Amino acid sequence: MSRATRTALVRDDRTAYEAAAGAAVGISGIVFVVGLATLLGVVGIDDPVAGLELSVLFGVVLLALGVTVVGFGMASRLGYVDAAPQPSAGIVAAAAFTGIWFAVGAAVSGAAGIGTAGRLAVGAVLGGSAFAVTAFPREDVGSTVPVGAVAGLCGLSLVVGVIGPGWEQALVGYNATLFGDTVVPVVVLFTSLVTGWSAAKAYGGFGARGRNVGAYVLIYLVVGSILTVLVGLVAFVTVRGLPGLFGGFSVGGASLVSWPFLTNGAGLTADVAGVFPALLGTVWLVIGAVLFAVPTGVGAAVFLSEYAEQGRFTGAVEVATNGLWSTPSIVFGLFGAAFLIPRFGNQKSLIAGMLTLGFMLLPLVLITSREAILAVPDEYRDASAALGVSKWKTIRSVVLPAAIPGIATGVILGVGRIAGETAPILLTMGGGVLPGKSAAPDVLGGFQLSGSPPFVSNPALLEATSALPYQLYALITAGLSGNIENPQEFAWGLALTLLLVVLVFYAVGIATRYYFRRKLHQ
Amino acid sequence: MSQTDTAETTANRTDGEGVSTTAGETVEETRPEWTCHETDGETKLAVGDLDVHYGDDHALKGVSMDIPEESVTALIGPSGCGKSTFLRCLNRMNDRIRAASVDGTVEFDGENIYQDGVDLVELRKRVGMVFQSPNPFPKSIRENVSYGPRKHGDIETGLLARLTGRAEPDREEDLVKRSLERAALWEEVRDRLDDNALGLSGGQQQRLCIARCLAVDPEVILMDEPASALDPIATAKIEDLIEDLAEDYTVVVVTHSMQQAARVSDQTAVFLTGGELVEYDDTQKIFEDPESQRVEDYISGKFG
Ligand SMILES: Nc1ncnc2c1ncn2[C@@H]1O[C@H](COP(=O)(O)OP(=O)(O)OP(=O)(O)O)[C@@H](O)[C@H]1O
Ligand SMILES: [Mg+2]
Repeated sequence: MSRATRTALVRDDRTAYEAAAGAAVGISGIVFVVGLATLLGVVGIDDPVAGLELSVLFGVVLLALGVTVVGFGMASRLGYVDAAPQPSAGIVAAAAFTGIWFAVGAAVSGAAGIGTAGRLAVGAVLGGSAFAVTAFPREDVGSTVPVGAVAGLCGLSLVVGVIGPGWEQALVGYNATLFGDTVVPVVVLFTSLVTGWSAAKAYGGFGARGRNVGAYVLIYLVVGSILTVLVGLVAFVTVRGLPGLFGGFSVGGASLVSWPFLTNGAGLTADVAGVFPALLGTVWLVIGAVLFAVPTGVGAAVFLSEYAEQGRFTGAVEVATNGLWSTPSIVFGLFGAAFLIPRFGNQKSLIAGMLTLGFMLLPLVLITSREAILAVPDEYRDASAALGVSKWKTIRSVVLPAAIPGIATGVILGVGRIAGETAPILLTMGGGVLPGKSAAPDVLGGFQLSGSPPFVSNPALLEATSALPYQLYALITAGLSGNIENPQEFAWGLALTLLLVVLVFYAVGIATRYYFRRKLHQ
Repeated sequence: MSQTDTAETTANRTDGEGVSTTAGETVEETRPEWTCHETDGETKLAVGDLDVHYGDDHALKGVSMDIPEESVTALIGPSGCGKSTFLRCLNRMNDRIRAASVDGTVEFDGENIYQDGVDLVELRKRVGMVFQSPNPFPKSIRENVSYGPRKHGDIETGLLARLTGRAEPDREEDLVKRSLERAALWEEVRDRLDDNALGLSGGQQQRLCIARCLAVDPEVILMDEPASALDPIATAKIEDLIEDLAEDYTVVVVTHSMQQAARVSDQTAVFLTGGELVEYDDTQKIFEDPESQRVEDYISGKFG
């Protein structure tokens, strides 16, 4: 058996080559992060850094990275370093670089004023050469030279200022213009991603190990950037919402904690306008929807997976529930407005909203509960049956407890969606734009007993009620005006409150799931 | 699958094992009188002409045997010959397998359990089963053992029972302890009864399943290789338990160990590949002087 492809088992002597490659990976990572910061607007591309404009500095660094990466490839190709490259960089890399160079060719020739046919031709030539350079030489050349060329070209255009801070290009045929402060970060992000990948391959000595390291770097950078964008989004809302949320907040005094934004209405009498009615409305809305959807959804799931014959009927129900879950919320809203409202006093009401959102939540609870129940091993059911325990008792004491974590996951996801719904509330629940404190629903205190059917009534459920997303929407459509001091701040505070409410519901759901999982497994 | 087909298959396999039986001889070798063992005690379970199919697969072929009360009956035979299938017929667990269809009769205390109107829940309370692979519930050790009695309402532990003073925690403790002791597990788990049963080792889980079955106090106990994952010491304890149980219970045990069958059982049934019961007699007779050549080969390790 040939052992030609074996590499050393232990590689502990870090050569200068490895150190350089590691540094190149690190620099690519830093460039990527800074590029992300410019894209998010934290840093400007024309900010001076070390005496240079940031975009020029980007260009210099990318140029250097491109040269270095090609240097790694050549050093390996000429046998100066101990690497284990494979005969070719592979079809995936080749296809990727074909695409990249096709795009570069088309864009550059387009900027030079060549017509469509010419652009396609230039793109095809460049793409084809990139394919040849990637696929045919040995891996160490194939996965560095095209990268070096990309980095060199992009770096050079940044240094020379072909694209830079003042750059703009009208997109012919679209009513839009591209500006330098978007294009530069995108180019930088993309280029640093490929140089990082290539340098990482060199660091691993190409071959299987190199591909492994390269994949790691790619995955980490991409995942990292996604997380950054997500965190950035939350941070954005938080930073803008905090002044509103904590307006008039104080600790100590008569009521220990005074948090007017959460405990006041928005009426004329309140000195600090607050979102209390809408907050309470959202909380009751979610509780009502969950109380409606969870028992019905889990019950239906138990029937479908434990009692019904698996076949066409259950298949059809499954397709139908999947369809219902993807039905747009405004359709549910219309159903609520046309069907539920006439049955609950002919006006928008809290209970109509609860039921509408309950109907929306039902399919997801049904789908996830069914999956969770089907995932419970049959051994448990057999064991229980062999002990002479009836089917229903088995379901209740073995199957459902084992399925609870899965069911909780479904409810968590669903609550996240319905808590932020606006359209169904708009159509079924209404409520004012800036409700005063007296408009807050008093569900617990609202129950009244009476001598005639239906014996219990609760006017709070039958009144139009506001909810956070609806109030936000109403505030924006009303032009962010009204009898409050700072509508802008109020609206951001409202958005942050909504975010926090959803997070609290999530936390409750995750805690439930965690608790039952622990119970099942230890 | 026709009779000759099966015979040929069997013959081919035996050829593969180096025993020179031909197709013709194999068919002749199965004689009805080898399986009609006269039992000493009362017959607890009378199996008559039992056929099991899994789809087109004929897994048990016309098995008839009488299992006497308060004794240990061992089922031995090569892997895949239908021992587990036979065992599952005795408490109708085969009903739970979609593909399985059962023909024939099984009389439990003289009543056919395959007639209409049989209450399966009640049947399985009386005919308990320990599965081939351990399958504890994802609950605490205590809850696993007391599961059956609790669900039958023999022990009340719920909130309502506690409020009305009907809860009997002492009786539950006692039952759990006794069952675990009999299954030779008590010493190992006495300090962690509230831990999850999935955290036990394979052999401990096996004994927990035995304890769980004993807690229900059935009349017949079906055990499918109850000692397959146990060390010699625990195996010896389980064998003692089985002998012990035979004082009050009817025990049917599947085993792959000839020594175990010889040690614990009163009578032994030998199934051979193809799903036929070839010989059924007193254990001593089977191991010392079997009628069938194939059984002798199997027992002496030449076949299967
Ligand atoms: N659930 C099932 N579905 C289809 N066929 C099955 C099923 N269970 C068992 N069989 C078939 O029935 C035959 C007998 O299986 P069985 O499990 O009874 O064998 P066994 O004697 O218990 O074997 P082992 O000693 O390996 O446990 C085998 O051919 C098997 O493939
Ligand atoms: Mg078996």
